[in-house]
Amino acid sequence: MAIDKEISEKRKRQCAKLVDMSKDIVRKAFDRFKPEELGVTWTGGKDSGLTLWIIREVCLEKGIPIPKTMIIGEGDEFEEIEEFVERYSKEWVVPLELCRNDDVLEAASHTLGATVKVKDLNERNQAELKRIAFSEEEFPFEAESEAGNHLMKTVVFNQWVERHNLKGVFQGLRWDEHPARFNDEYFEKKEAAHLIPEHTRIRPILHFTEKDEWDTYAAFNIPHCTLYEQGYRSLGAKTTSLISIEGVPAWKQDLENTEERAGRRQDKEKAMERLRKLGYM
Amino acid sequence: MKNVILLTIDTLRKDALGCYGGGNPTPFIDSIQDKCVRFTRAYSCGPYTQAAFPGILTSSYYLEYGRQKVLSEKRVLISQALNTTGITTAGFHSNPYLSAYFGWNRGWDVFYDSMEDEVDDKVPYIKAGEINKKVAAWLSSHIGAGEYRAFFLWLHYMDIHEPYVPERKYIDMVDPSIRLDEEEMFRLFKDVVLKRDVSDKGTVELLRKLYGAHVREIDDAVREFFGILEQCNVLKDSAIVITSDHGDEFGEHGGVSHDGKMYSELVNVPLLIYEPSREKGKVSDLLVSTLDIPPTILYLFGLNPVDAFEGCSLLPLQGYPIKGSFGEAVDKHGSHEKGEEKEVHYYCEGDLKIIYCETDDSWELYDLNSDPQELNNIIQTSHGAEPMKQKLTPRVRRY
Repeated sequence: MAIDKEISEKRKRQCAKLVDMSKDIVRKAFDRFKPEELGVTWTGGKDSGLTLWIIREVCLEKGIPIPKTMIIGEGDEFEEIEEFVERYSKEWVVPLELCRNDDVLEAASHTLGATVKVKDLNERNQAELKRIAFSEEEFPFEAESEAGNHLMKTVVFNQWVERHNLKGVFQGLRWDEHPARFNDEYFEKKEAAHLIPEHTRIRPILHFTEKDEWDTYAAFNIPHCTLYEQGYRSLGAKTTSLISIEGVPAWKQDLENTEERAGRRQDKEKAMERLRKLGYM
Repeated sequence: MKNVILLTIDTLRKDALGCYGGGNPTPFIDSIQDKCVRFTRAYSCGPYTQAAFPGILTSSYYLEYGRQKVLSEKRVLISQALNTTGITTAGFHSNPYLSAYFGWNRGWDVFYDSMEDEVDDKVPYIKAGEINKKVAAWLSSHIGAGEYRAFFLWLHYMDIHEPYVPERKYIDMVDPSIRLDEEEMFRLFKDVVLKRDVSDKGTVELLRKLYGAHVREIDDAVREFFGILEQCNVLKDSAIVITSDHGDEFGEHGGVSHDGKMYSELVNVPLLIYEPSREKGKVSDLLVSTLDIPPTILYLFGLNPVDAFEGCSLLPLQGYPIKGSFGEAVDKHGSHEKGEEKEVHYYCEGDLKIIYCETDDSWELYDLNSDPQELNNIIQTSHGAEPMKQKLTPRVRRY
């Protein structure tokens, strides 16, 4: 399970420093909020995995349990991720909750690509579709379609925050993941809006680059999902994630000169969705 | 000039600006005219973003290089041309057509296209105020304590683009008797703009006013942006090119929005060059193209021309050649009806403008001097028709 990469003592110290910076953010979050007001989002991927591992380190040092953790079930999961999450949620004693939009899953008979009729959905889901100005009568059940993405991810996340009255939510975002992230902050307060509860997003690993991240995984022997060994660099839904280089582990790829998330179908879907709202397509 | 800034404003009609004699004032943009060269006959290379921006950022035409949706690798972005010379390049915008996904992120040291950020569900882009904030954050970190590398900054505002849902305070500046709420304005977008329904003149006029309110909003955003430059103490060292990719139609030629027509309300765009050291304003009636913007940026930096750029530097004005302006696009509306992509082209030279529309294989010719609204097609009667046809014909279906 360990990463086969030599890490020099000097590099280890550098990684330890990055981890210390992240721990400071986590400690600040515990100063600002009560443990029961905090939540963690986990996907089984490398970013949320590192975040969770760092939160766990701080919790061990404080002698408190890991805050409530959620994982979204969007109906298009890798088995490898499911196995990984199951194993480490037990080993690390993570109070994990699988959050799904069962109403949509049922309307789609749990089948990818099936047509979901808006009138078959419950009131909340219908109201959510109205909120995003979705006016069609049906949509295909895919996590990356506009309606699917909203109902299967955003709504499920908001409901989880609301259900537990969470005030702060840990996220595994990084500045170098995408140029658009360069301005993100460690703590960002999201104001309440229609169907969106007020909460603060906490991003302890913003300063890690993709390379820092894998070096840290290697230096501290942090567990990772096996898909990264097959050549995936960025994991999302099963049918929309692509292998970057077949058979070359993520940490052995040219991380600095190639795109981490090249070819993700999400990027296209997002552009198309916005263009449609502008009146194109 | 040490720095060059390109400020593009999506969907801004030339006649929406007070300084161009539009009915409504744009107080800030009007107030900087004494430091600007203002071009009255600047033509965009296309009537919508995809067709116009290859001209503005790559000095090449839309239908070249095989019409891919993703920007061809063969095109050279101004950011690429500058990046190799050690100038820092930064771009900030929120137009999906210009996003990294479509290949517009090449050559930028910093490139923000908003695609990773959450946007409003009804108005799906980041507003000018937010773009300004991001630019301000980048600028202050780039400038740092004092010595900094020369930069090329591109920012693009989307706010005028439909749906027209301006803030109350800007509606009041245009016509306080308009009492629509957001929901009602959005309904107009769905029921009138998207359906291209111009049957009710009053409604089209109402849309024009809402559009005008957005223009006032943008004027404030430009004021704020200049304030940021002043605060960072870089305004005095920066030339600023201000233009638009295309305009918008309000019934002038039987439609609304911008689908692929080639009339002046869509392709005759505003173009200003702000130079801090300029002593008095200058109005130029030269026939120019937005294709000339990348070469002008090179000139302002004191750099040599780049072979891949097809335009000419607008400066110095006396060195600009007398030439015509081309534009090309896919006629989206007509293509949709015919089930295949149909081209539309124009060419402008002197006072004449010729338009070819492949959808119905039609030619139109207008004398812009006697008929600036392009209502009287003289293709059958003008002696100019044949030579103009000959100049445009080689560009149709050439790839």
